[in-house]
Amino acid sequence: MAILELTSVSAGYGPVRVLHDINLEISAGERVGLVGLNGHGKSTLLSTLVGLTGWQDGSIKFEGEEIGGRRTHGTGRRTPHIVRRGIALAPQGDAIFPGLSVKDNLDSGAYTSASWRTRKERRDRVLDVFPPLAKLLGQSAGTLSGGERRMVSVGRALMSDSKLYLVDEPSLGLAPKISLSLVSALSSIDIGDGAMIIAEQNLPLLAGRVDRILGMHAGELKLDVGEALGDVPPSAGGHH
Amino acid sequence: MIEVIISALVLASLYGLVAIGISFTWASIGMLNLAQGFIFTAGGYAAYLFATFAANAHVSGAALSIGVLVAGMLGSAMAGLFVGAIAFLPLHDRENFRTRSLIATLSISLIGTQFWLLLFGPQNQPLPPIFGDGRVEIGSAGISYGQLGTLIVALLVLGAVIIWMRSSRAGLQMRAMMMNPLGAAVVGVSVRKTGMQVLAISGALTGLASVLLAQVFFVSPTSGVQPLTVGLIISLAGGLGSIPGTVAAAGLIGLAEALTARYLQQSFVPFVLFGIVLLILTFRPRGLGGLLEDVRE
Repeated sequence: MAILELTSVSAGYGPVRVLHDINLEISAGERVGLVGLNGHGKSTLLSTLVGLTGWQDGSIKFEGEEIGGRRTHGTGRRTPHIVRRGIALAPQGDAIFPGLSVKDNLDSGAYTSASWRTRKERRDRVLDVFPPLAKLLGQSAGTLSGGERRMVSVGRALMSDSKLYLVDEPSLGLAPKISLSLVSALSSIDIGDGAMIIAEQNLPLLAGRVDRILGMHAGELKLDVGEALGDVPPSAGGHH
Repeated sequence: MIEVIISALVLASLYGLVAIGISFTWASIGMLNLAQGFIFTAGGYAAYLFATFAANAHVSGAALSIGVLVAGMLGSAMAGLFVGAIAFLPLHDRENFRTRSLIATLSISLIGTQFWLLLFGPQNQPLPPIFGDGRVEIGSAGISYGQLGTLIVALLVLGAVIIWMRSSRAGLQMRAMMMNPLGAAVVGVSVRKTGMQVLAISGALTGLASVLLAQVFFVSPTSGVQPLTVGLIISLAGGLGSIPGTVAAAGLIGLAEALTARYLQQSFVPFVLFGIVLLILTFRPRGLGGLLEDVRE
């Protein structure tokens, strides 16, 4: 069953159209890589799924329910509903809460769902994925290193009870070794009948760690880049 | 000297309540609420209406005191929601929200004064004394029950709000929105709902200040102007959005006002206060807040 179905989706900010007529279907249990250069619409595609672009056109169906639809303003007005419905985003730039402790930052990922009561078990599960955070729980998130902040941001998304996880540029600004361990951690998480989309500039980092790779160029999707790249060896690679 | 310090503390706690309301609102929804003075006056008149009703119903003693306080806080909280319904909900996801809401709240403030004038007339209205008459002697100086009660109630309520902000789920959502609006959005915090909660709480704190200040002054259509001005000065000097910064700035401004009024003249107070805020902003453009905690990035 398709967990996510986009039909001729366009989106942008004010007069700027960033996404052009996107059609996409993602099945339950799938882990999808979204590659493309900076400024070609990867982040906008993830943002539009949670209603954070300026405007949007076309249909976005999540588990059969329309969460998009034509919209010319009201940025973020549907976001709480969509997040509660089961889509979690780890946005570019992390957007963590600098004055809150690491523990509160993680717990915030469970604010609005029924998962608030089970936040302790959820936190333990996130700490299994990112063990370095265990020692930092009491520390203010504003004092963390770049890699630790990224773990907090991704960990916060994992705290929710979501069906679709969106991770924007996990490697951005991090040393190759740290990005590699982050993406490996992401590929090892059990998503069950959910799905995950990882947007990433560094293609070799994703190869072999996701089920399918989609390319993005100038706001349009190029489907199935993955087949052409099937034999790229999984390695940390460098930024190109 | 002790009298100056007591007077400074009382002023600081009252203005601090107003300033924290302005600061919360700015930090969480990005609106500089110039209608805070209107909200202040609304609380004063709500308390006045309750006191009038209580006098007819022969309510007195502690019930009257608590009723006046609660009526003032409720009245201002409702006024805060009213301001939100006009200046926040319809505008917050449009372009230039900051400028638009500034103009909207300024309009509410100007129209509001005329509205109070029409409704209650120009005369000053007194509130019944909440803390009774009398004073406690400390050495050569003394502190009146009114001053003592004002200090205790202001600090208790402010403390309760801060503890609630730090420990409850709704409080965490508000703090999250103050620190990073995008982060708050992706964890599902609703800007509209949380924004209105912030306006109601900021309003209630302002209403408390209004009732407490009316123990010394009166309620009148323009009684919110001075608290709005000083509240703005304190929240700017404190670094908008920082609770410790605002508390520090409130102490400083309260002391400056008390010292000026005592050793110079009451009419010099605005000059001194604006001088201080100019000095602070010249050397620390983000106010005192950045010195004391991690504020919004």
